Amino acid sequence: MRRSRRSFFDVLAGGRSDAGHDTGLWIAARGREDAQAQAAQGSAVAARPALPPGVKAIRISSNENPLGPGKAALDAIVRKFPEAGRYPFNSTPADSALVTAIATKFGAKNENVVLGAGSQEILKSAVRAFTSPTRGLVTAAPSFENCPQFTKKLGHPVTEIKVDAALRLDLEAMAAAAKGAGLIFLNNPNNPTATVHGSKAVSDFVQKVRAASPDTVILIDEAYHDYVTDPSYESAIPLALQTPNVFVARTFSKAYGMAGLRVGYAIGQAATIKPMAQLKMPYNVSVFGVAAALAAFADTKHMEAERARNAEVRAFTVKALDDLGCKSSDSQGNFLFVETGRPADAFRDACAAQGIMVGRPFPPLEKTHARISLGTMEEMKKATAVFRSVLRPVTTTAGK
Amino acid sequence: MGLSRRGFVQAAGIGSAAALTGAWIGARGREASLWSAFEPTLEAVAPGMICLSSNENPLGPGKTVMKAVRAAFGEGGRTPGRYSSTGGDLIDATAKRLGVKPENIVLGCGSTQILRTATHLFTARDKALVGTIPSYEECAGYAEMMGHPVRAVALDGDFRMDLGKIADAAKGAGLVFYCNPNNPTATYVGAKATRDFLAKVNRESPDTTILVDEAYFDYVTDPDHDTHIALAVENPRVVVARTFSKAYGMAGLRLGYAVGHPDTIKKMREWDAGTGTSSLNVLALHAGIAAIEQDATFITAERARNTAARDFTMKWFAERGMKPTDSQANFMFVNIGGPVKAFRDACRAKGVLVARDFPPFEKTHCRLSFGTMDEMKKAVAVFGELLGKKVAAA
Repeated sequence: MRRSRRSFFDVLAGGRSDAGHDTGLWIAARGREDAQAQAAQGSAVAARPALPPGVKAIRISSNENPLGPGKAALDAIVRKFPEAGRYPFNSTPADSALVTAIATKFGAKNENVVLGAGSQEILKSAVRAFTSPTRGLVTAAPSFENCPQFTKKLGHPVTEIKVDAALRLDLEAMAAAAKGAGLIFLNNPNNPTATVHGSKAVSDFVQKVRAASPDTVILIDEAYHDYVTDPSYESAIPLALQTPNVFVARTFSKAYGMAGLRVGYAIGQAATIKPMAQLKMPYNVSVFGVAAALAAFADTKHMEAERARNAEVRAFTVKALDDLGCKSSDSQGNFLFVETGRPADAFRDACAAQGIMVGRPFPPLEKTHARISLGTMEEMKKATAVFRSVLRPVTTTAGK
Repeated sequence: MGLSRRGFVQAAGIGSAAALTGAWIGARGREASLWSAFEPTLEAVAPGMICLSSNENPLGPGKTVMKAVRAAFGEGGRTPGRYSSTGGDLIDATAKRLGVKPENIVLGCGSTQILRTATHLFTARDKALVGTIPSYEECAGYAEMMGHPVRAVALDGDFRMDLGKIADAAKGAGLVFYCNPNNPTATYVGAKATRDFLAKVNRESPDTTILVDEAYFDYVTDPDHDTHIALAVENPRVVVARTFSKAYGMAGLRLGYAVGHPDTIKKMREWDAGTGTSSLNVLALHAGIAAIEQDATFITAERARNTAARDFTMKWFAERGMKPTDSQANFMFVNIGGPVKAFRDACRAKGVLVARDFPPFEKTHCRLSFGTMDEMKKAVAVFGELLGKKVAAA
């Protein structure tokens, strides 16, 4: 299929966009990593699942902010239209201003920050910089798959530690596995299980690893930081700035609503992050990404509102699923990990047939759990209605 | 690797071969942002400044592309909140335009991602990078950081790439970076000579990959001009890099690509974890499709505009006894008869930005990008004030 979008009007009239009505369907059904892998090969557009007439797909599969960037960020992008032809180091403000803004926010220096084209570049660089054939990766299962996938691709060893019964990272087992490892990937909150560890648990973990294996680098991925409401949680950024071989990855793809703009960063001691700075692509964040991130960073009110919006939708959706007998883990993200008691792919396909696109399977819990991202309240009302029909206990005579 | 290299790079001037590359890298301005975490020295271009320092298209991407950017925001501006899979469409559109297959193309976050990947992939501790000095420094920067050897080959007397010397240096090398037209010297090697050179390197050093950087392709007016894409898709040892940052006017969007044999492209994609598009922003992807599909008159008009500004500026210098190299790009390299740093600082004070130092010519030659004709008229007035005395003395 070819695009025919040539104006804003076309998009509104249903021309193809990435907004989850069209390609989104296809992406959601496959998981975004698959989509990106296939997109990288060209000829990306696959057949779309057929939907009943008038049904618009709802994409709750990729832990995105359904509202996109805030107004301040959008306005900032539009104001930079005249600078589309300028390199990011020539734009006003230049990309280095974003580095400075991030450093300033956390009481750090520019040398403590490395920008990434999304935090994916940071994660990839970390794997490349810190793992080797003899020094592997330690991660959780399930957790965000980028690091283990890339480590395996490089042929470096991967140790996966299953989450505990409450679907929290098993910090004790991960620390025990850390000895001699090159890199530990600690996703807090953890994607896909949505659980979080408090600041004391994280700092105890770091001290334990530092004592047992001081050369091991600890990557704490706080992609969902802004959605956490648990009071025991605090960012590990101050800890990272004080502690060698510890750094935090952050992204503008989640609460900031900028997944499509590709902006992320790493923050830690300069000596720790230097190997990643050396692998970094030059000018990896666009003029628009720089402007949007700076504006979003300054708009703290918008972030508070987004956190509150998400918390409300989260509470609603957790309850709706609970009423269906499906327990969610204690979600501190913009997604739920739900025990549906059935294979994730079957649940995903049944929901997709009714226009609700939920997350991919996450081994080793792919037979029992589904990841559901949180859309807008309106979207989740529609989604939970579909869940109700899909998850309805089979009690008819036909099932006996 | 790593930490000590950085110190090494900064300490330009130690050792002999080291000094060559060290100075080459250390003097960079643009690539300071390679390490911008450590060197936040680059400044935004203040409003009203005439920016002739980065070989950009002063007019930007044009209406068609910006309309596509606008449309990419989607309903309520929500689309940038979504991960995009538009990379496949851009690959398809590019392949169609170039007459190649999608498997011949890998996208990059600017051609800088392509250059980075190629350097990592094709050089090693025992497989050198070969480039000219001066040239665009990125590949050398990465090779240097990784501790891979760099063989820097001097230009000939006309500031052209010395193909014989490069071919000699290429023997046993991992990668040859062949930037044509060459940045910063703006000189160009004709299509036939390049084809012969590529065949010679293939013959004499069959395992060496040659990265032909066609960043300034669209600005060439020399009649002996052709792309090497057709060769690259057949030849696993030749890769062509392209960018949307120059004639397409999209430097701020970060988009480039490489064209090559499917096996080579597959390797490059895999080095970036098979998700080559994860670094590309959705606005750039839509802009890229619009740019590549727009009427070809966009590029012919931009080339004509640049040629007029180029002719005007080169003539101005030549008439004052300062001979530029034979520019086939959107910039020129000119002997101003004194250190570029002093000239650059003086120009900046008068509202004109010219380029960084390019050793070993930092004491004599300045690189100037071409702005609009209006900008160039203002710029030469400034150059006249600053260089006038020198010209009179000469």
